[in-house]
Amino acid sequence: MSEKAYEVVHLDELDRFPVDDEGLLWRPVRRRLGITAFGTNAYTAEQGTERVIEEHSEQDGHEELYFVAGGRATFVLGDDEIDAPAGTFIYAEPGTKRGAVAAEPNTTVLAIGAKRGVPHEISAWEEIFVVFGLYRRGDKAEARAHMEKVLEKHPDAWQGYYNAACLDALDRNRDGAIEHLRRAIELDPQAKEYAAKDEDFDWLRDDPEFPA
Amino acid sequence: MSGTANVTELALRLGNGPSWAMVRTHFDIQAFGVNAYIAEEPGISVIEEHDELGERAGRHEELYFVSSGRATFTINDDEVDAPEGTFVFVRDPAAKRTAIAQEAGTTIVIVGGKPGEAFIPSPWERNAEGLVHFANEDWEQAVETYERFLEETPGDAGFLYNLACAESRLGRKEKALEHLRLSAEGEERFRHAAVGDPDFDAVRDDPEFSAITGQVDAPGAGS
Repeated sequence: MSEKAYEVVHLDELDRFPVDDEGLLWRPVRRRLGITAFGTNAYTAEQGTERVIEEHSEQDGHEELYFVAGGRATFVLGDDEIDAPAGTFIYAEPGTKRGAVAAEPNTTVLAIGAKRGVPHEISAWEEIFVVFGLYRRGDKAEARAHMEKVLEKHPDAWQGYYNAACLDALDRNRDGAIEHLRRAIELDPQAKEYAAKDEDFDWLRDDPEFPA
Repeated sequence: MSGTANVTELALRLGNGPSWAMVRTHFDIQAFGVNAYIAEEPGISVIEEHDELGERAGRHEELYFVSSGRATFTINDDEVDAPEGTFVFVRDPAAKRTAIAQEAGTTIVIVGGKPGEAFIPSPWERNAEGLVHFANEDWEQAVETYERFLEETPGDAGFLYNLACAESRLGRKEKALEHLRLSAEGEERFRHAAVGDPDFDAVRDDPEFSAITGQVDAPGAGS
C-alpha cells in the first residue's frame, strides 16, 4: 500500500465482483483506497430490476448509512418501503432490517459502516468476498491463488478453511473440499453444522469421506 | 434512529458559501462522521481549505465523494479534476485540501474517522447546532446556543466569533464587538474573517471594529 497523502479513483474504475447470479456487483471502495477508519463499499445493479442491497440486519453493532449515488432504488427499512432516488441517504441502526432493489438501470448505492464506540476493524470477509467474486466472474485460477493468501494470513481461522472447501466444492475438487472442510471442523466444530446445510456440498454429501 | 432523507432536504445555506447537509447530526450517527456540501453556483469553495491537525479538527482520514457536478480539488500542491462519481481519499491528516465547484449543484459527500480509535465528533462539528439557527436567521437562538457552548468551553475563539455575529445581527453592538475582540485575540484568522463577513454590517463603521480587524484586507467569510 502506497503511503501517498491521498488517492483518487472514479466509480467506473472500481473493481466489479459479481455477488450473486442475478447481476449484483460489489465495487470495493475501502479496499481500493486503503481506508482504515470505516467501511465503504459500492454496489451496482446494471439491469435495474435486481437486488442492490441484500436484505439483512447488522447484528454485530454496525451502524450503516446508504447513499444512492446514481439511479433509483426501493429500500426496505424495518417495516417501511422507501422510494430512494439519487441523492437519498438511508440510515439503518444495528438490528434494523434493511435491503434494496434497483428501480432503474445502473443504480449504484454506497454503503458506509462502522461500529460505535470502538476502533474500526477491517473485516476478513472482504477478502473472502474477493475470492468468490473472482470465481463468479470466471477468474478461477486467480480466485484459488487469492484463497491461498487468505489461508496464509489466517491460518487458525475456521472460516478461511470452510470457504476454501466451498471454493473446492464449486470447482468439483473432491479431495480439496474434504481436506479443507476437515481442517475447518478441527478448528471449530460449528463448521460441521454449516456444512450440513450448505448446498455447495450437496454433490459431495453421499461421499463416505464427507466429514459433515 | 433509522431513517431517510435526501441530501437537498438537509442542506442549509450559510452565508455566501456552500449549503451544508449535516448528515451525521441529522441521523445521530455515532460511528463515523458524515456531511455533504452543495455549491449552488460554480466558483464556490465547496470544501474550505483545511487540514485535520488543528485544535478544532479530528485528525481524521477523509473520503470525499463527488455525487453530482464537478469540482477541482487542490491537495497540498496537486490539482485534481473530480467529475461526478469521483472518490478522493485523503489519508494524511496534515494534507491541506480544498475543492472549488466547477458546475452549479456540485455536491460532495464527506466521510471521516480516525484510524485505530473509536469515532468522536470533531470539535468544529459542535458548531452545527448553532449554525442551524444562522440558516434560519434565528439570532436569539444562536446567541443562546453559543453562550451555552462557551459555558462548556470558555474562551473558544470559534464560538466567540459566532456569538459576536449573532449579537451584531441583533444590533447588540457593544457585546458583538467585545466578543469579536476576544475571538480575534484567541485566533488571528477571525480578525481577517470579520472584514468581509456581512454579519458585522451593523458594526462595520464603528472605530472599534476597525481597531479589531486592523483594517486588514481579506476575502469575505461567512459564519
